[in-house]
Amino acid sequence: MSWFTFSWQNFLFSFLALAFEGLPFVLVGSLISGAIAAFVPSRIITGVLPKNGYLATLASGLLGLCFPVCECGIVPVVRRLINKGLPVSCGVTFMLASPIVNPIVAFSTFAAFRGQAPWLNVSVRLGFGYLIAVLAGFSVRRFSPKEILREGAVKIPSRKRLAFQISPLPDAVLNDLESGFVQKLIAAVRMACDDFIDTAIYFMIGAAVAATFNTAVDQQVILPLALDPTLSTIAMMAIATVLTLCSTSDAFIAATFVSFPLFARMAFMVFGPMFDLKLFFLYSVLFKKRFVIGLGIGLFLAIGIISSRFLIYLYASQGL
Amino acid sequence: MRAKASDILNGLTLVGVGIVLLDFFFTGRLDPYLHPQFRPFTPIAGVIFCTIGLVYAAAKPGAGCCVDGECIHENATSPLRSVVAMLLLFAPLAAGVALSKDSFDQQAVLNRGFVQDITKLPVHVNTGGPEQQVDQAIPPEALGADKDGVASQPLPQDTSAAPTNGVAAGGDQPDQANPAVPNGGDGSAQYLPKAPDGNVALEVTDLLYAEQEESLRKIVGGKTIEVVGQYLPSADTKQFKLVRMFIVCCAADARPVALPVEASGQMNVSEMGWIRVTGKAAFTQIGDRTHVVMKADKVESIDPPPEAMLY
Repeated sequence: MSWFTFSWQNFLFSFLALAFEGLPFVLVGSLISGAIAAFVPSRIITGVLPKNGYLATLASGLLGLCFPVCECGIVPVVRRLINKGLPVSCGVTFMLASPIVNPIVAFSTFAAFRGQAPWLNVSVRLGFGYLIAVLAGFSVRRFSPKEILREGAVKIPSRKRLAFQISPLPDAVLNDLESGFVQKLIAAVRMACDDFIDTAIYFMIGAAVAATFNTAVDQQVILPLALDPTLSTIAMMAIATVLTLCSTSDAFIAATFVSFPLFARMAFMVFGPMFDLKLFFLYSVLFKKRFVIGLGIGLFLAIGIISSRFLIYLYASQGL
Repeated sequence: MRAKASDILNGLTLVGVGIVLLDFFFTGRLDPYLHPQFRPFTPIAGVIFCTIGLVYAAAKPGAGCCVDGECIHENATSPLRSVVAMLLLFAPLAAGVALSKDSFDQQAVLNRGFVQDITKLPVHVNTGGPEQQVDQAIPPEALGADKDGVASQPLPQDTSAAPTNGVAAGGDQPDQANPAVPNGGDGSAQYLPKAPDGNVALEVTDLLYAEQEESLRKIVGGKTIEVVGQYLPSADTKQFKLVRMFIVCCAADARPVALPVEASGQMNVSEMGWIRVTGKAAFTQIGDRTHVVMKADKVESIDPPPEAMLY
C-alpha cells in the first residue's frame, strides 16, 4: 500500500470537521478582540501587568487561568492586545501559555489520563507549558518589534511606544469618535469581523493541510519510531503538528498513543497547542514568516530536549 | 464605493458561513462530523455569523475599522481582499455542502489503522457523575454495577429506563473489584439491550471489550447478537471486518475499531456500506490474549444509523 493516497471524500470530511470544530472558537477569539478594541482602554490592558518587563512576562503566562482562550482564538486577541500597548514579549508568552495554562485544559488532561497518573500529568503539562512560554517571552525581548512583527499587522507608531515597555496608547481618538455605546458596539462588531476574516483565512489553509495529512498519509509509517526516546519525542511532536488538535481535547488523543512513552506524549501536549500547521498560518497573521519559523524550531528543540532528557527521568522516578 | 462593495462582500461571506453552519446543524448532517459536546457551538456560531455579517454589510462604510490611525487589517477596504476571503472561507464550506459524503471511505480507514486495544480508547468524563464512559450498548446493570460503581444496591428490575450508554466495562473495572458482577448465569442477560426481533443488540466496541472482560464474555456467549457497522472486505472472501469510527472531538481524529466477522455465502455489499450482522460471538484464546470473531448467520444492508460515529 502506498504511503500517500489522496481522496476528495476523505479530505472534505476531515476538512469540514476541522472547520466546524474550529471556526466557532476563532469567532469567539475575534469577538473578544473586537470588544477589547472598542471597550477596553489601553491603560487597563497595561495596568494589570507589573511595570517590570520580566515580571510582566511571568504574569502574562498566567493570564489564561482567568482568561482562557484556545489556540484558535488567541491570535486576534494577542494582536489586539499588542496594538493596545501590551509588550510583545508578554503577548508571545500569553499566546503560547494560554492554550495550556488554563482550567479547561487542566480538567480535560486529568480526565484523559485517569488511571495514568493524572495529577502528575496535569501538573507537568501546565508547569512545562508555562515554563516554555515564559522562556519564549524572555527570548523575544532580545528582538525589536519591527524584526518580528509583520508589517501592518500591528501599528508601531513613531512616538515612544516601544513594544517591550509598558506604555499604553491614548484612547482619546476612540473615545471622541465613538462615544455612544451603540456606536462602540458596531465598531466592535466591525473590528471583530475584520479580525475573523484575517485569521480564519489562515485557519482554513491550515485545516486543509492537516486534513490532507490526516486522511491521505498512512499513519502506520510513524509507529516504529516509538521505541527510541528521542525519536518517539520527535514523532509525537510531528504528529501534534499535523493533527492540529484543539488544546481542550488533545489530551484524549495523546492518552491513546499508549505505545509511546509518557514523556513523548507530554511533548505532544505541550508542543501541539503552541505550534502546529494551523498555527503556523495563524501566527503569520501577526508575525513575520522568519520569526514564525524560528519560533517553531525553538519550541521544537526546547520541548524536545526537556521532554526526552529531563521528563524521561521524572517519569522514571515515579515508576512510569 | 470600493469600501461599500468590500463591506457587502465580507458581510455576505460571514452570512454564508453562518448559513452553512446552520444548514449542517438543522439537517442533521453535522452529527458525524462532531462529538455531541461540540455540536451546540455550531448553531450558536451560525446565528452570530449571520448577525454580524448583516451588521457589517449594513454599517456605514469604514465606520470603526478600526480607529484613527490604528487599523491593523490589511487592505480592509479592498474588494480584492473580500473576494479572496470569500473564496477561502465560504467557497470550501459551500463546496462541502454540495460534495461531501459525510463519511470516510475505505482508504482513510486503512491509512489510520485499527485500534488494537479497545480499553485504551479515550473516554469522556460523564458530567452526571464521577465515572467515565464510552458509547456502549451494554448497560451497567448488566454488569451488576450501580451508578457510583459500588454495586451496593439491588439490581433494577425495570430495564426500560436503563441507559444505553453504560459505564465502560474495560480494564478499569475488573469484575474482581466488583463482587456484584454477575457470571452470566444469574439472569443478568435480561438487562442486555434487545433488538425488535429479540436478539441482543450490541455495539462493535462491546464485543471488543468482551475480549478483555470475562464477565462480558459469559453474558454474550452463546446468544444471538446483532451488531451494526460498516463493511470492510478482506482478501479472504469468507471474512470481513465490521468497522465503526470512534471520535474524541471531530471526525478529523476518528479512529477505526473493527470486529472480525466470518460469513459464508456471497456478500453483496458495497465497501464501507452499512450492514447489520446477526450471529454469535466466538472467543478464542491465542497466547495470553482472547480474540473475538463474529460467526455471522445473516448479513443485511441497512441505512446508516442516526449516530454513525462512536464516542
